[in-house]
Amino acid sequence: MHIVVCLKQVPRDNSVKIRPDLTIDAEGIEKIINLFDEYALEEGIRWNEQHGGKVTALSIGTPEWVEQLRRALAMGATDALLLNDPAFAQLDTITAARVAAAAIRKLGDVDLVITGRNSTDDESGAFAPALARLLGWPQLTYVGKVLELQPGGAIKAERHLESVIETVTCRLPAVMSVIKDINEPRYPSLLKIKRVAKVEPPVWTAADLGLSAADLTPTAQLVERVPPPPRPKGEMIDGPDAATKVRKLVDKLMEYQVI
Amino acid sequence: MSNVLVILEAIGNDLAAISRELLGKGRQLADALGGKLAALAIGPTTAVAAQAGNFGADQVYTVQAPALANYTTDGYVAAAKAAVEVCQPALILAGTGFQMRDFGAALATDLQAGLIVDATDIQVVEGAIQATRPSHGGNVINTYRFAAGKPVVALVRKQSFPEATAQPERSAPVTELAIADLHPRVEVQAIAPKVGAVNLTDAAIIVTGGRGLGNKDNYYRLIPPLAEALGGAYGASRAIVDDGWVPYEHQVGQTGKTVSPKLYIAAGVSGAIQHLAGMRTSRAIVAINKDPEAPIFRIATLGLVGDVNEVLPLLTEEIKRRLNR
Ligand SMILES: Cc1cc2nc3c(=O)[nH]c(=O)nc-3n(C[C@H](O)[C@H](O)[C@H](O)COP(=O)(O)OP(=O)(O)OC[C@H]3O[C@@H](n4cnc5c(N)ncnc54)[C@H](O)[C@@H]3O)c2cc1C
Repeated sequence: MHIVVCLKQVPRDNSVKIRPDLTIDAEGIEKIINLFDEYALEEGIRWNEQHGGKVTALSIGTPEWVEQLRRALAMGATDALLLNDPAFAQLDTITAARVAAAAIRKLGDVDLVITGRNSTDDESGAFAPALARLLGWPQLTYVGKVLELQPGGAIKAERHLESVIETVTCRLPAVMSVIKDINEPRYPSLLKIKRVAKVEPPVWTAADLGLSAADLTPTAQLVERVPPPPRPKGEMIDGPDAATKVRKLVDKLMEYQVI
Repeated sequence: MSNVLVILEAIGNDLAAISRELLGKGRQLADALGGKLAALAIGPTTAVAAQAGNFGADQVYTVQAPALANYTTDGYVAAAKAAVEVCQPALILAGTGFQMRDFGAALATDLQAGLIVDATDIQVVEGAIQATRPSHGGNVINTYRFAAGKPVVALVRKQSFPEATAQPERSAPVTELAIADLHPRVEVQAIAPKVGAVNLTDAAIIVTGGRGLGNKDNYYRLIPPLAEALGGAYGASRAIVDDGWVPYEHQVGQTGKTVSPKLYIAAGVSGAIQHLAGMRTSRAIVAINKDPEAPIFRIATLGLVGDVNEVLPLLTEEIKRRLNR
């Protein structure tokens, strides 16, 4: 069975700046695999260990990003694929899904695509549903447990929603997004890291994927990008002892009508 | 294409608060666009369909079918497309719960529509729809303008707009839309309540503990009782979720939940940027930390320097006394 895991490159923390041309400046912040995508990768590797076949780590990114794809290989992915093109620099979620969908179609024999529930920078959770619709495959989002996965057959899983757990099933191929509770991602061993250090994953461009400029044009135009308004200046509660401070604090909370 | 379509959600026999917000904002936007405000009730939500008229809708559509008894992407997208067909909306409004995220992105993709998730503001500017959403843990506020000619699907973050007020004398026609045979590819086999589910996102008051609580026993001795005295929920930093003190359900932050309660108390939490990402828009933030230099104090409305072991029991007692609990 062939599982594809989509990995997004995100800044380790969100202390980004905004450039005058409104692009995001994440310079000086380490780039990591989106945390939720690590869970997606671990899940793909575990099912591959059970059923055999391939697990391909797929990412849209720049050539430096190969380092993280190697990390995915060291964890246990069997293949890696980088989608790189200057035209991929300013994708929105749906156009990014269009790029991934084109690559997955080109791979041809994919049974299951796994992604994280959302990225920690954009945070929309729209990627997996968009990808599923573009591929014409069913989608299982917010999965916290895969109960059954039969190659060439069906998948049965639990969707962990706000207050209920749904047990759902559909036939493969399908797209699934996973939450953090699903597993505990492994750390790649040094030996494995060394073994993949020189692997050069294939790189596919927009032309390889048959994508035109129109396919990559976001539907919306960014017109403003600003930092959040500053919070009103706070107040420190003083007092000779903890009991006095606590009383003053509760006075304030009542004055602010928040309790 | 100047109408606005609201996807209704129900809680029991009432419209969900988010639907009342969307009807209020939708009314204003439909007027600005010179169109009508329509609402769509899918499957079981049909029970509350008529209420949408009281809250400002001009027209209500319902779609019913046995296959719509439970949420499925295919079922809900097909139902929404039936309404889009007759209503031709410029803007489709829905909430941001997990099902609506699953649905909204799928619908926008199928319609080749614009999509904005977690919208906190929507305006009509020179006839075009313009919408704002935070990204990067609230550190960046983005405003997008959508080209006319294609609809926009906007999933709106809770409490972004005032709820519409009921006008009992107002009503709207309710029209049932026919839908072709539905065969959702995903089958829902069971729905079970989540054990120990915590609806942090809906809590008005949250008390969060961090590594400063020292250990798991101390966390449970000090944090939930204070939350209970306040009638709130309890949260946790990632540090102590990763250490297994508290289930992930309680985690607030970049890789946990984003919350915006009226009162957020952070005790023994340093205030790492990933934590702030999940709670910085809370109305009042109280920080309790023994280190006066802790970053959490920089965003606190009220800061108290002290040891959680001493402060929290006093605070719980004082709250109980003042609120007569
Ligand atoms: C990709 C990524 C995602 C992340 N996502 C999240 C997330 O979603 N949520 C999150 O919370 N974190 C997240 N983090 C982790 C984050 O960076 C911090 O490590 C974490 O928030 C720290 O938790 P803490 O404040 O409980 O612990 P610490 O940073 O260790 O702070 C403990 C605080 O307690 C105080 N203290 C100690 N003893 C006492 C006492 N007796 N009385 C009073 N105060 C005391 C200390 O002064 C200190 O300020 C993420 C990190 C990464 C890299």
